[in-house]
Amino acid sequence: MAESAEIATTAPLPASRRSGFHTSGAVGLALWAIALGVPAVLNSTWVSVAAIFAIYAITALSEDIILGRGGMFDMGHAVYLGIGAYVTGILNTEFGWPIFATMPAAILLAAAVGALLAAPLIRLRGDYLLVATIGFNAIFVLAMQNNLGGITGGSDGLFGLDVPRIFGLQLASQPAMFWLDWVVLGGALLLMRNLERCELGRTLRYLKQDELAATTLGVDARAAKTLAFAIGAGLAGLAGSLFAVQLSSVGPSSFVFTESVTLFAIVIVGGQGSIPGVLLGTALMFVVPQIFRDFAQYRYFVFGFAMIVVMVLRPQGLWPRRRTAV
Amino acid sequence: MSALLELRGIGMTFGGLRAVDDLSFAVQQGHIVGLIGPNGAGKTTVFNIITGVYRPTNGDVFWQDQRITGTAPHRIARLGIRRTFQTIRLFAEMSVFENVRAGCHLRARRNWWQGMLSLPAQRREETALAERTHDILHRLDLAQVADEPATSLPYGMQRRVELARTLAGEPLLVILDEPAAGLNDAESAALNDTIFAIRDSGVTVLLVEHDMNVVMNVTDHIVVINFGRKIAEGNAESIRTNPAVIEAYLGTEDEDEEAAA
Repeated sequence: MAESAEIATTAPLPASRRSGFHTSGAVGLALWAIALGVPAVLNSTWVSVAAIFAIYAITALSEDIILGRGGMFDMGHAVYLGIGAYVTGILNTEFGWPIFATMPAAILLAAAVGALLAAPLIRLRGDYLLVATIGFNAIFVLAMQNNLGGITGGSDGLFGLDVPRIFGLQLASQPAMFWLDWVVLGGALLLMRNLERCELGRTLRYLKQDELAATTLGVDARAAKTLAFAIGAGLAGLAGSLFAVQLSSVGPSSFVFTESVTLFAIVIVGGQGSIPGVLLGTALMFVVPQIFRDFAQYRYFVFGFAMIVVMVLRPQGLWPRRRTAV
Repeated sequence: MSALLELRGIGMTFGGLRAVDDLSFAVQQGHIVGLIGPNGAGKTTVFNIITGVYRPTNGDVFWQDQRITGTAPHRIARLGIRRTFQTIRLFAEMSVFENVRAGCHLRARRNWWQGMLSLPAQRREETALAERTHDILHRLDLAQVADEPATSLPYGMQRRVELARTLAGEPLLVILDEPAAGLNDAESAALNDTIFAIRDSGVTVLLVEHDMNVVMNVTDHIVVINFGRKIAEGNAESIRTNPAVIEAYLGTEDEDEEAAA
């Protein structure tokens, strides 16, 4: 029909519709570029903290796709991080795959498991999904601890992962791993920004606000939610792969239920559907504890208290998404 | 000539309640058809059956001679049937523009990965659909409030936003559930013009309405139901003088008004 003719029209949009996002995008890009210089100025402890931050930030952003944007109560997100880490660990240590070759497999398996789990469950009410994902998290950890198929290494996990190599170059040094993690984080942030602006991102917002109204506009709720779950799980799988590389080992304790709770809390406390909110939440949950290591035993007490205060005073999160993003 | 939409022997039972009973009627292409009846007559149930929210206990719904009974709501939308709601259902946290843009959902043909990678084809499509949304906002005189939060607008305007969102999907049939509810006289009169304009743009209209001013003035054909059964059918003039309608519908309304006074 007139479709092709319409697509050819590229008349400019009103200025109000174009500003704003570009500014925040530029600020974000500048901050990211500055962060790349961390290894030049900070000591090795901080370089590894910053690298771990990047990995958890990717994971938290992936949880945000499911929880914050999709409105699906995924309380087992550490599973997908774990699947990615184990896929990389097993393929590398048992089968000798190069690290980078394991990454697509890590993404795909995590995404497939996410989709398979979500498809029958997303029709359920939020609280049922929550309980089901908790159960799945418990099963996953148990399976890994019990050395499923003789390849997960039981409760000790897997050790001695190779370093990533690209074009004969070894990414073995701490700064090299840091840069790898931050480049992937940059990519993840770009994907999140694009998601915000594309039809899928908007579709999730329609569904979260009024599923019936969205459906009458032609939105296939089940397909959109399953897709969101798969994308979120796949991105977490990639983060898991980086996690295994960073520690050069994989163990079940990194993917237990409390890790899922933390990821869930990051999104809620930071701000659902808000990229800066999720990054801020990640920093508070993972970086601040490194600063207050001496008070480790009070950590969860302080966190618990802080979470209550945030939820009472700022129920939309510390850095809520703008009411009408473009 | 065959009907655009046809209901044949529709029945719907909730528990022991017979909400709709052996209801048949047809909506001809290009018409404005009114479905009227007293409160609780089953009008909204009929809408929910047509739009796939409910699957009828008996009978079938035909769309362009194809049986569509029990088709999922999002597939019904794909066929070109769009609806509004008795209680307005706008996306509360979105602007007027974003709400109307939502109506273009099915026109977005690019895949999710094209969107996530922000490929040129997807960006062109975004621009085109934004333009299209602005056109619709202009048509329904909403351009000046495009960036306002949708639910901050006066009630009558919110109705228009919902209508704009419906029309953005280029439907063949729009189903309006009490479009005049909550409107003042001026807004209600303006609604008549809007409904005519929709019909003149080639879209068939089926509406449920209590406001007799709207029903009698705009419809080509009226179906009257009471207790889930059709009691009369015809043009405005024949309905106005139909004794069964006067007794069942207008009589009831008078009693309502007395009770309210």
